[in-house]
Parts: sequence; C-alpha cells; structure tokens
Amino acid sequence: MTLLLTLPALLLLALVFAVPLLRYGWLSFHADSVITGLQPLPNGGANWLRLIEDERFWQDTVQTLRFAGLSVALELLLGLALALLLHQSWRGRTALRTITLLPWALPTAVMALGWRWIFNDPYGPINGLLQVLGQPALPFLSSPASTWLVVVLADVWKTTPFVALLLLAGLQSIPTDLYEAFALEGGTPAQALRRITLPLLLPYAFLAVLFRLAQALGVFDLVQILTGGGPAGSTETLALYSYLSAMRFLDFGYSATVMLGMFVLLLGLTAVLLLGRRLLAGGRA
Amino acid sequence: MRFRRLAVLMVLLWSLLPLLWQLYTSLRTGSALISPQPGLSGWTLDNYRQILSGDPPFWRFLLNSTVVGLASTALTLLLAIPCAYGLQRQPARTRALLSGALLAAAVFPYVLLFLALLELARRFGLANHLLALSLPYAGLSLPLAVLLLGAAFRDLPPELEESALLEGLNTWQRLRWVLLPLIAPASASTGLLVFLFSWNEYPIALTWISRQELLTLPIAIARIAGSSVYTVPYGAFAAATVLGSLPLLALVVIFQKPIVAGLTQGAVK
Repeated sequence: MTLLLTLPALLLLALVFAVPLLRYGWLSFHADSVITGLQPLPNGGANWLRLIEDERFWQDTVQTLRFAGLSVALELLLGLALALLLHQSWRGRTALRTITLLPWALPTAVMALGWRWIFNDPYGPINGLLQVLGQPALPFLSSPASTWLVVVLADVWKTTPFVALLLLAGLQSIPTDLYEAFALEGGTPAQALRRITLPLLLPYAFLAVLFRLAQALGVFDLVQILTGGGPAGSTETLALYSYLSAMRFLDFGYSATVMLGMFVLLLGLTAVLLLGRRLLAGGRA
Repeated sequence: MRFRRLAVLMVLLWSLLPLLWQLYTSLRTGSALISPQPGLSGWTLDNYRQILSGDPPFWRFLLNSTVVGLASTALTLLLAIPCAYGLQRQPARTRALLSGALLAAAVFPYVLLFLALLELARRFGLANHLLALSLPYAGLSLPLAVLLLGAAFRDLPPELEESALLEGLNTWQRLRWVLLPLIAPASASTGLLVFLFSWNEYPIALTWISRQELLTLPIAIARIAGSSVYTVPYGAFAAATVLGSLPLLALVVIFQKPIVAGLTQGAVK
C-alpha cells in the first residue's frame, strides 16, 4: 500500500533517467543522421568502432579528465580553507557564509559570459590592470593553456562554496570534547588538525569529491558559452562533443555513443573512488 | 586575528569582485568601457533601458523563469513527499536499494540525458511549452528531494505516528495533519534547491525552447551575448545579468539557512 505512494515519483524518475540511457544503448547500434534521412538504421557496431578510433573523442576525454581533476582538487583545497574559516566563531561569519554562497547560486551560463568579459582582450579588467601596471595586454582566451585555466577558474569560483559547506557540516559533526581531550594530552592545534579533523572529515570530503567529480566530468554550460570548446578544440569536453554531434552535425546515433562512452568513463572512475575509500577505511581500521 | 581578517578580506574580494564588475559594466556607456582612461563621465542607465524595451522586454524572461521555477518546485514536492514517506515504510533492504539508486541519480551529470529528453519532448509535443519544462526539472530534482525528505521523515519519532494511528487517522490524514507540518523545514529547503536548479538550468531549456518569448533567463542572456559574433554587447549583457541575478541574491540572503541546510543535510544523514 505504502509502495503505491512511491510510484508516481518512481515513474517520472524512470522516464527521465532510465528511458534515455536505454534509448542511447539502442541508438548507439544505429546510424541516425542526415545521411539516413534522420531515420535510425541498424549499423551493427559501426558507431562503437568509430568511437574507439575517434581521435577527437580521446582528446576530449583527456581534456575532460584534466579539467575535472584540477578543478575538483582546487575546490577541495580552497573549500577546506573556507570551511575552517567559517567554522571558527567570530562576528560576521553568518554574513560571510551568505556572501560566499552567492557565486554558487548564480546561473553558470550567465557567469560564463561574465568571465569572457573579465578576460576580454584588451578591454577586460584583468588586461586593464595589466596595462595600468605597464604590461602588455594578454590574449587570455586565444591560447589553449590560458583558456583552459580560465575555465578551471570559473568552475572553482562557482563551486568552491558548495564543497566548503559540505566540509563545514563535517567539521560541525566533530564533538569538541575530542579536541579538549587531545589538548589535555599535550597535542598541538596543528597535530589536532592532522590527527582528528582531517580523518573525521574524510567521509564528507569523499562525498564532495564524488559529487563534484561527476558534475565536472559532465561540464557543459561553462565551456559551451565561455569558449565554445576553442581555441582549436582545446577546451572541448565530452559533453560538448556529444552536444555538437547531435545539434550541429545532426548525427544522433554517434552522439548517443559518445554519451555512453562518457557514462562508461564515469562508472569506471566511481568504481575507482569507491575502491579507494574502502582501502583507505581498511588501512585505518 | 590579523590573519583571519586578511583571509576574510580575500574571500570577500574573490566572491564579490566578479559580480561588482558586472554591476559596474551595466552602468557604463559602451565608449567608457573601451576607453583606456575611463573618466568620471560615461555613467548611464541606457543598458537597462535597452533590454527592458527589447522585444520581448527583459521582464518577460524573468517571468518565464519564475513560472518554470514555481511549477517545477510544486511538482517536485507533490511527487517527492509521498515517495519519501512511502519509502520509509518499506523493508530495510528495499529502502537501501532505492536509496542507493537515488544517490546515484542525484550524482549523475544530467547533461548526458539531454538528447533522449529532447526526443521525448518532440514525440509528445512538449517543445516550446514553458510549463512542460517542469517535467524534466522535477524528474531531475526528485533524487535529491526524496533523499532530503526521507531523512526528515526518518528523524520524526515513531511514537508520533503510532498515536495518530490510535486516534483513527488514515494514511492521508496522518500525512496531511501530523507529518507534513513537521517536515515543513525540510520541504522548504528542498523547494528552494529545486527552484534554484530550475532557474539556472541550461542544456534542457536550450534544446526544448526556441521561441524568443518563451526563453528562460539563462538562455535569454546567452542569446543577448551571442547576437553578434565579433562584439558581445557587454553593457546590455551585464544589465541583464544584474536584473537576472537580483531575485537569486534576494533568495540567498533571505533563505540562507534553509538553503545551507538542504545542501548539507544529504551529507550529514
């Protein structure tokens, strides 16, 4: 009877999550593009063979992993620092918590354009500052290396507050008498951070990394608007590639295959993360 | 003390400078923005006038996003509350299995789903219908919503429902008159997160809506900027950003506590 109450929600969930993935599985074994008149025709494993030999797919995989790895690492470090700052009791920390939340609340799509303007050559404020200092303006968004870093910066700016809040919840869950006992035993604050805070924070950090890594691997809004994948495809991610395959090249069969390729990557990384956590937990027990 | 003050200052600059730059840009004339020595002149409200008198005027997009946000929030809560309640009444193994699946779905990068969702929209004639967007938005919000509300139901003392049962209240009455008021804080947190998600969502709105007067805010703003390949009209774009961000800023400032509670509850429980 009570199972009935869950049914409407579970139906919508199945429609939104399960049906698409099954559909991609089916589409990935069909040619469905302009060439076939946008009709799906079975083509065996041609899409998958193409995927394996597709240099663009592998290049985008590397770029996506690189972006996700650096972004999440920075978010974890800065998020921890911010959480420690917000955890201390001082006047104004509630106000600061509200202010740090603002970047997280704004639409990625909107701030992506904001960053494009901030790094504009030569009229953006960063280049304005450089020129005031007597330096030449830098074309930040024309060279692959600096464009990539701008994308990372925009992501870190937006999502560090989220990581910080998760870690803050973790900090607040640690009983204070633990620290008192540790201090009585003659432990220094630095030792307490290493011996008490960080180990007890681990489950929260793990959850933050899991969530952020999955989201960062699917990064789309940011690159589509900030760089369009450029210059020369150097910031294109897998999500953007599959989007372009479908919406620009109208190759739906291959787009579905790219998305499934990304899904497999995601599953693999999650498995590694779960295994890593188990090893870490086992090592301490 | 001094170190903390420095750290706070850096956090403030880091969080606010990019936003303040948008505000500044929105109030400057085009020539003041590109002049090497911007003087004290060149302040203007023209950027705001321009987007508010556009076709359609900018407030239309604000309205669209508000409508979609409210509809998605209502639909999500309508589906998630009974589901979360029902889930708590299941045997432990069913509950653990479903919770695991919900967690996986909550973490899933939903952009992967856009193509199949677009196909569904086309098949059922949902494209270019503003309210239809709340279907995928509710579906994508459900995992987190059910997890958050489930945790809230679990926190209620079981005696509460037992005594309501003794009073002869049926399932619906217990849910409506006893449990619902008690999970109101969790519902508020969840609702706020769903609203923020719907307001900010990009890939699905981008592919489902093409008619100019039905665009949601992020798409409309991206279009203002994409209207010319070579020069982005940054003044108008910044004005749009400011207007489009004000409702969110107000929400965050007023509802900081429930939003933070919603964000962290999932991790704590």
